[in-house]
Amino acid sequence: MANLRAVGKSVDRRDGVDKTTGRALFTSDMTFPGMLHAKVLRSPHAHARIVSIDTSKAEKLDGVKAVMTHKNGPKNLFNAAAPMFLTVSNLERVLDQYLFDEIVRYVGDEVAAVAATTEAIAEKALSLIEVEYELLPAVLDAEEAMSENAPELHAGKGCTPEGKNIPGEIIRIPYGDVEKGLKESDVVIEKSFTLPIVKQVQMETQSAVAQVSGSGDVTVWSTTQTPHPSRAILGQVFGIPASKIRVLAPPYVGGGFGVRIGLSGLAEAIALGLALQAKRPVKMVYSRKEDFIASDTRHPATVTVKLGAKKDGTFHALDLKGIFNTGAYCGFGTELPGVCGAMTLAIYRIPHQRYLGHSVYTNRTSSGAMRGFGNPQGNFALEQVVDMMADALGMSPYELRLKNIMKVNDPWCLPFPCLSTELAECMKQASESIGWEKRESLKASAPHKVRGMGMAVGTHVSNAWPFCVDYDNAYFTVQSDGTVHVASGVPEMGTGVCTSLIQIAADAFGIDMDRISLSFGDTLTTPFDIGSHASRTCYAAGLAIKEAAEDARAQIFDYVAPYFDVTPEMVSLQDGYVFVSSLSDPDAASVVSLDDVKEHKQSKVSLENIAYHAHVRNKQFISTGKIVPKNAPPWHVCFADVEVDTETGKVDVLNLVAAHDVGTAVNPMIVEGQIEGGVVQGLGYALTEEIRYNDSGVQTHSNMHSYMLPTAEDIPPMKSIIVESHDPTGPFGAKGAGECSLVCPASAIANALANATNIRFTELPATPERIFAKLHPQN
Amino acid sequence: MNTKLISFVLNGEPVSVRVDPFELFVDVLREKLQLTGTKKGCGEGGCGSCTVLINGEAVNSCLLPAMRVEGTSIQTIEGVEDNGELHPLQTSFIEKGAVQCGFCTPGMIMSAKALLDKNKSPSKEEILEAVSGNICRCTGYVKIEEAIEDAAKTLRKAAVKGESHG
Amino acid sequence: MVQDYVFPGTVEQAVAMLAESKGRARVIAGGTDLVLDMRDGKITADKLVDLRAIDGMQRIVEHDDSISIGASVTHSQIVRSTLLRHHAPGLVDACRKVGSLQIRNVATVVGNVVNGNPAADAAVALACLDATATVVDEQGTRTIPFNELYAGICISCINSSCQIVTQISFPKKKAGEGSSYIRMEQRKALSLPMLNVSSKVRVINSQFQDVQLLMAPVGAGPQHAVTAEDFLMGKDITDENIRQAGVLAREQATFRSSAVRGSKEYRIGVLPVCVERALRAAIADAQEG
Repeated sequence: MANLRAVGKSVDRRDGVDKTTGRALFTSDMTFPGMLHAKVLRSPHAHARIVSIDTSKAEKLDGVKAVMTHKNGPKNLFNAAAPMFLTVSNLERVLDQYLFDEIVRYVGDEVAAVAATTEAIAEKALSLIEVEYELLPAVLDAEEAMSENAPELHAGKGCTPEGKNIPGEIIRIPYGDVEKGLKESDVVIEKSFTLPIVKQVQMETQSAVAQVSGSGDVTVWSTTQTPHPSRAILGQVFGIPASKIRVLAPPYVGGGFGVRIGLSGLAEAIALGLALQAKRPVKMVYSRKEDFIASDTRHPATVTVKLGAKKDGTFHALDLKGIFNTGAYCGFGTELPGVCGAMTLAIYRIPHQRYLGHSVYTNRTSSGAMRGFGNPQGNFALEQVVDMMADALGMSPYELRLKNIMKVNDPWCLPFPCLSTELAECMKQASESIGWEKRESLKASAPHKVRGMGMAVGTHVSNAWPFCVDYDNAYFTVQSDGTVHVASGVPEMGTGVCTSLIQIAADAFGIDMDRISLSFGDTLTTPFDIGSHASRTCYAAGLAIKEAAEDARAQIFDYVAPYFDVTPEMVSLQDGYVFVSSLSDPDAASVVSLDDVKEHKQSKVSLENIAYHAHVRNKQFISTGKIVPKNAPPWHVCFADVEVDTETGKVDVLNLVAAHDVGTAVNPMIVEGQIEGGVVQGLGYALTEEIRYNDSGVQTHSNMHSYMLPTAEDIPPMKSIIVESHDPTGPFGAKGAGECSLVCPASAIANALANATNIRFTELPATPERIFAKLHPQN
Repeated sequence: MNTKLISFVLNGEPVSVRVDPFELFVDVLREKLQLTGTKKGCGEGGCGSCTVLINGEAVNSCLLPAMRVEGTSIQTIEGVEDNGELHPLQTSFIEKGAVQCGFCTPGMIMSAKALLDKNKSPSKEEILEAVSGNICRCTGYVKIEEAIEDAAKTLRKAAVKGESHG
Repeated sequence: MVQDYVFPGTVEQAVAMLAESKGRARVIAGGTDLVLDMRDGKITADKLVDLRAIDGMQRIVEHDDSISIGASVTHSQIVRSTLLRHHAPGLVDACRKVGSLQIRNVATVVGNVVNGNPAADAAVALACLDATATVVDEQGTRTIPFNELYAGICISCINSSCQIVTQISFPKKKAGEGSSYIRMEQRKALSLPMLNVSSKVRVINSQFQDVQLLMAPVGAGPQHAVTAEDFLMGKDITDENIRQAGVLAREQATFRSSAVRGSKEYRIGVLPVCVERALRAAIADAQEG
């Protein structure tokens, strides 16, 4: 296995041709004979009780085949996100949601759904539903929601000593003695930061098609990132056993970024509920506006950092607190504050640390998972304070970080060791690329402009453990012609799973990639897997595939050893040929059949020959990989060079450089794509993206024209650098690569803004308006 | 309702289809003609996933009344391959890693094609302007820009050799 | 609910088709706004009258002293026009900023004006150019000065159920004249302006003559910064005078806050510098000749 033929190569994506020719099929493209279209009536109120609901006129409309409300919908409590099914054993699951409830808790909450023969009829039917609401007091702000007088969003849930409306566990991470540590520090800096609501805005909106067979078997095509957990959630909602439900992503998902870990909004459940009623296939495609108002956002948060350091710059104590507005339903409200704390505490070697974090219910759209999962919020806060500390100590932010960053096997708060880090090398390469040494002598392009540079560093995870249940499985079959079929439960949402997992399989087994097929993202044909999230796909699903491949190799070696007249340990498999390991030049060896190899020890035997040889003797090489992943920290830095127009507050980002230690880059081109995409999402987080609410609880930024995603014309010059390490816990040394890229850019850009303007921005996004207000307080 | 039969050239072939007077072209393509390569990402001209070429110009098919297509020539992603061979844009998008989830890709390629059909030596600014109405949330646009530049290079070489790419 | 969609071949036919529906028909130009307004139920119509097939409407025409832009001329046509790059660079810059290329390829400049949005890019740029609109209805053809096109905030004087603006015209650039357009935006494409300013100046011997200075959104349609215009008349081109024009414009402007497009505090705060930059750009254009 010394020779990697596929891993580490930027091979073309397997889905490239289908995706560039329009052939690639997404859920929203699916159509079936007799298929109905679903539309949802949503609450116009932030908090209300449905006093009465009359659907009779809608039901009578020609073409309407099913109508669902809280009166006839399923009555099982659930959590639409993966914690429904992946909450670890030491935490209690928060189940706080019905498919349709008598109480609506945010503007956009589901009131009724209709399935009709056309979208237009379904739409018309919604307008015929008569609803009488009793308005209830609403609360939008997290602080307010915790106060004594706040309305209780979920009766009997969330009353804690910390306040009201706090769902699930309050996360506390104790490490050392933080009070003592702060006392012993020479300099202590404390600051609070406000992080905005931002949205994944994956290009394909939440969608599902549900079909129920005559025997009651359910098939749901969906945009989920987690087919297996989604199946379990649907089972719970409708009381249907897992054996009767198939969930699959067909075969592609138009982006995810966390928004569909669990159900896709509620698309699957709404489509299935209506399909059960109508006994016809039902398709539910969220409009873009519905996607904005009725599917999870990133958690807005208030994060407070208290950092203590010795005079020489050694960090000595870190006290961190995060309050997360989780909106109407809990979702990931317990897990996400935990990740925020853990990832923020894990960057630096600090002997005394403490974290307290929790979610708060409010009458807003639920917050949930978004790429980075709590990490960007904490990272932004800490990395601002680290720069403030550098200023206070008169040190360079670079040197201060270099002095304190985690090293291999340093003690930390996480229950797995840090076995690899090239963070210092990432810092070095990125700083050289951006020209960090010029930071003190930067020149702006005009008299009314100021320029600055900033940096930030961070880490993340390579799978969901210990925050969620995480284990993985793979099926591996050597078919009778010697080709391989692999089955893995993860879906392909754009991250290149269907290519990089095959790269891993190819090298783990010893065969060309083009002789491997992969089933993925389908609960019927793949073994259990928790889905594509937590930067885990290559790491965890890849490990399962690697283990399965190694098992299949061993089976083959056992089978062929007698023919070679050696022991199984003396046989090797590479490029689709089996030969004795001592063979000096396998490439040049002649090919013989298995039956003849005893006479020709210097020859090799093709897998095709071996597989068929076995097949006609009633034998197949088939294996499973069953792994419980450890975890490993990827490391990353971002450097930003910015210029600010002091007369308008407008920011021009002149250069962004990101360097990432992702362990082994299984497919460097795909990893670069992950970095670049995440950096641009981070650019949006830093400068433009934000959903705000008016006083009635209505989103004011709920479409593509008002929510300011970066466009192609907004992209600065960027460089992505991969610094490889080899993590012993990952497949071929790989670590997570999917999420890191979004974590640091906003932190780095804000540090650059502070360097340029001498103003510390404590609130994102740093819009021209916010910058202008700070630069011109007299206005 | 006064439904109308509209006729136009679709990816080089004449097509007639009956439409409602205010039906949008994206729905005609996806639902009536089963050409689902053209995606619907927002339905409000804010993402470019539905971009098609009408007489060579990139437009959002979600804002285009189908009636207006009468008598025009339309190109969609399904018509970009030339006799079963990938167009240089398609090849470059794959080779340069410009494809991730793939949902924006058809629209992105159509916008790029509108540019390269007229200008085989576009500047970086012209490339970015050409795709400024196409939101991609996966790639950060870096590799998309590289791919379009790369395809332009291929097309220039082909032009020298006298090959054609529609 | 739209029952019919028609393509008249002449303006007369179009007017007749509108009249026949007695207020239930509506003109569609590019349609990029109309399609969304109709989807959201903000506008309803039984019949849409599409101007695309009317000959001549698609052209930018150069006359002896003026230039006219037909009702079907798109923003992209303006952006590509070398004629307009010379005579109305502010208009070209403004059109380049609208939406995205896909939208510019369809959306018409006349539609951008008739829409009534006070801060519509092309409208603000045209407002400083002494433009006039040619309006046709059953009563005949009239020419209306640009500033009379607005009835209120986002309300046009043009009734699209019976009237058609067939073209917008403005005088060609004369010696010593220059024009410009500046806007603040939240991103470089697919964004509406937070505020915008256009300016046209005539410069003689380093002095301001005939200053037009328009700003938006501060009322119904783009608004003249009257006191700033008056102040600059006959004044020397100096940094101080240009700065003072910005201050005067700010004193006059009454912005509202928009959750999406900027607070009134920000808009008022950056207006002076936008005015200064617009004036400097117009002066530069004038001096370029």
